[in-house]
Amino acid sequence: MTLATCEDRDTDELRAFRLKAREWMAGRLPPRIPGQPYMDWTDKELVAADRRTQRILWDGGLAGITVPKEYGGLGLTRQHETVFGEEAAPYRLAWHLGNNYNIVQPVLLAHGTEEQKHKYIPRMLNGDHIWAQMTSEPSGGSDLFGLITRAEKRGDKWYINGSKIWTTGGEDSDMGLCLARTDPTLPKHQGLTMFMVEMHQPGMTVRPLTLVNGTQDFCQEFLDDVEASEDNIVGEINGGWAVATTQLAAERSATSRGWYIGVGASLPRERIEIASHPVKLAHELGLAETQRARQIVGEVIALEALRELVAQRASKGIDAGTLPPTTGGVASLASSTLNQRASELMTELAGPCGVTGPADGGEPEQGMDRVWLFRIGGGSAEMLRNTISERHLGLPREPGPGKDVPFNQLRTNAAS
Amino acid sequence: MDVVLSENQTLLQQATRRFVEQEHPVVQTRRLADAKAAFPAETWTQCAAQGWVALFVPEQHGGMAGEAEGAVDAAIVAEELGRQVFAGPFASNAVAAFAIANAGSDAQRAQFLPGLASGEMQAAWCFAGTGPQAGLEPGALTVSDNRFSGSAGFVENGANAGLLLVTARDGQGLSQFVIPADHPGVSVEPLRSLDLGRGYATVRFDGVSVDNGALLGQSGAPGGNFERQLQLALVLQCAETIGLIDRAFEFTLEWVRQRHAFGRPIGSFQALKHRLADHTAEFEAAKAAVAYAAKAVHSSASDAAIAVSIAKSQCGKQGVEIIRDCVQMHGGIGLTWEHDLHFYLRRAVANQSLLGTPAMHHERIAALAGL
Ligand SMILES: Cc1cc2nc3c(=O)[nH]c(=O)nc-3n(C[C@H](O)[C@H](O)[C@H](O)COP(=O)(O)OP(=O)(O)OC[C@H]3O[C@@H](n4cnc5c(N)ncnc54)[C@H](O)[C@@H]3O)c2cc1C
Repeated sequence: MTLATCEDRDTDELRAFRLKAREWMAGRLPPRIPGQPYMDWTDKELVAADRRTQRILWDGGLAGITVPKEYGGLGLTRQHETVFGEEAAPYRLAWHLGNNYNIVQPVLLAHGTEEQKHKYIPRMLNGDHIWAQMTSEPSGGSDLFGLITRAEKRGDKWYINGSKIWTTGGEDSDMGLCLARTDPTLPKHQGLTMFMVEMHQPGMTVRPLTLVNGTQDFCQEFLDDVEASEDNIVGEINGGWAVATTQLAAERSATSRGWYIGVGASLPRERIEIASHPVKLAHELGLAETQRARQIVGEVIALEALRELVAQRASKGIDAGTLPPTTGGVASLASSTLNQRASELMTELAGPCGVTGPADGGEPEQGMDRVWLFRIGGGSAEMLRNTISERHLGLPREPGPGKDVPFNQLRTNAAS
Repeated sequence: MDVVLSENQTLLQQATRRFVEQEHPVVQTRRLADAKAAFPAETWTQCAAQGWVALFVPEQHGGMAGEAEGAVDAAIVAEELGRQVFAGPFASNAVAAFAIANAGSDAQRAQFLPGLASGEMQAAWCFAGTGPQAGLEPGALTVSDNRFSGSAGFVENGANAGLLLVTARDGQGLSQFVIPADHPGVSVEPLRSLDLGRGYATVRFDGVSVDNGALLGQSGAPGGNFERQLQLALVLQCAETIGLIDRAFEFTLEWVRQRHAFGRPIGSFQALKHRLADHTAEFEAAKAAVAYAAKAVHSSASDAAIAVSIAKSQCGKQGVEIIRDCVQMHGGIGLTWEHDLHFYLRRAVANQSLLGTPAMHHERIAALAGL
């Protein structure tokens, strides 16, 4: 597989930036180790290493490439970011800080006060702060704007009570972007406010959750009079809906662009990549001559190639303006469906050998895929289907309670 | 087709859509089917005048290959034809013109290309054997000493073509011939077809003996010419399926917005919305694969062989799945003869099964991947 780099198309300025990045990273950044997960919050040393990596980039004048200069960034273009990504290919970048650059920076740039931007953005860029998204709650994540965590003002402080859950990296984060209900007498979208909260403070209990694959990437937080000042509010009081909408858009756009900076989802491939894992498995299992196995191998290769092709088509069409921006969600659904089908086929190929293995080996892989592969994070597949059918295809919404019903008259999953 | 088209390609797409909608809407296919009639030869010359086959024919022989992006432009045409389940013989003539333009002698090019470009001559492509495993591999026809025999199955346009492009196996490899359909020893047996707008035939060769002038390219060639023709045929078949899905999906969306049940449009029911979203995603992947394959075939890219099989895998499976579900969402009306949907579904099923089923293409992909 050939990856296109843009090196031969560099302008002088891009070339200079490329050389600067190349020189600074060489020998300073940790190498990218094949097979190492991009994120693993259970590996505290890896999280700490990522903070150091971010600091090294900051010291070398390479942090916050597209962030305006006045907030500690470089004020450069997406092309510079692409160049940086190409040069960073041999290294492990600060992937545990993904929320910082993918989510919180765009949100603060769009809705933060000057003071907030000056205070928080540089500390995201130098690795001091890791940010968490505190949106989902035990009572529900899909119906995001139906959340029930409350924030009340007493004196000149705000106090937040409730619980957040599925917070990626909650335990290791320093700050959280936390949406809370500030006026339950208003209709559900209108009574919300976005707070920046310190994760390590009295009243905040953070408890890691263990997922089916054994990792502890998520946490639940219990908020018991967690404090926030007026300065910690992003956007307007009861205007949290607008801020959260930017947050969701940033998440979607990062997911389609490639969440892990420098991991090249956006680099166009010149030729179809032939997935090698099904070929390898068929050989290992001695199935290379079996007709059904050969069919499966071919189909898995097709499905993997289709994922790449549909992603490329969507981004090319959206960039060219010939496909509507909602095609991003279509490609994302396609990718997860194709992935699901490929994984089903790999499980069929492996048969009993996919669900058992040597006692001293790792978790049996093919079968585990079937246990693990669900589409929930960043919005469930069902919610994506709702969005595609309504926004992309223009179909009518499901009837529901009117938009004007006060939130406290709606039925929720609040523990009573 | 691709999300970025050249200005000429956009014009070609618009002109073809207009022409087919006005002159050959799906109701024409229905009329031919009701009358059990073949696509009239003079109608094909009117279609060919649009320059469809000419995309592969050099200027000196009455074509415009020089200005065209062969497989890509032809795929644009095929997609438009699919939108109306066009009944005329585009793919068979395009493949023959492509084959002769690429591998033919000067004499063959001068003899056949002008007629193919203008539509006055019609060709059919004979390569596959008969039986459930046939359709992708050449091999049922054999040739030695310029005499060949065997039966070619599933020959599109076989009953109407005056010209046969025959691929046969010899001692060393594949040889191709261009012979008149009325050549002694050739017999054509029309088949009944699920696709009401397209005829197929079995063509039998009973010790047919030809002279050297009939040989296309070298004898015993390693198969590269045949492979490229197969790739083009697959691109056209898949592009046509894209057109079928596109149109069927279009009127299904219209239908679910207008049709009411339980006091609301059926398109507001999540059970239907989610399936339509899934189809949109699979369809987008199919479009991506076909656009890529058309480009790869046009530029003879090293991954063209695998690209067409990936396109066939997705179009074959999803073309049928999506259109079948479009019928389902129409309720009873979708099952009537009067509704156009069954023409789309019939063509999609035929396209899935001919030129290699998806499963056969999966085996081909595995082989291409070195398994
Ligand atoms: C990998 C991962 C990372 C995550 N990271 C974070 C994070 O950092 N911060 C954070 O706040 N959250 C995070 N989440 C939480 C995630 O956003 C929620 O789990 C998700 O939105 C679903 O919410 P829920 O679990 O409450 O399920 P529910 O909303 O209760 O949904 C249950 C089921 O009902 C379906 N459903 C709900 N509403 C509808 C509807 N209208 N139509 C059809 N079906 C419907 C859902 O699709 C789902 O199948 C993460 C989740 C995962 C898996």
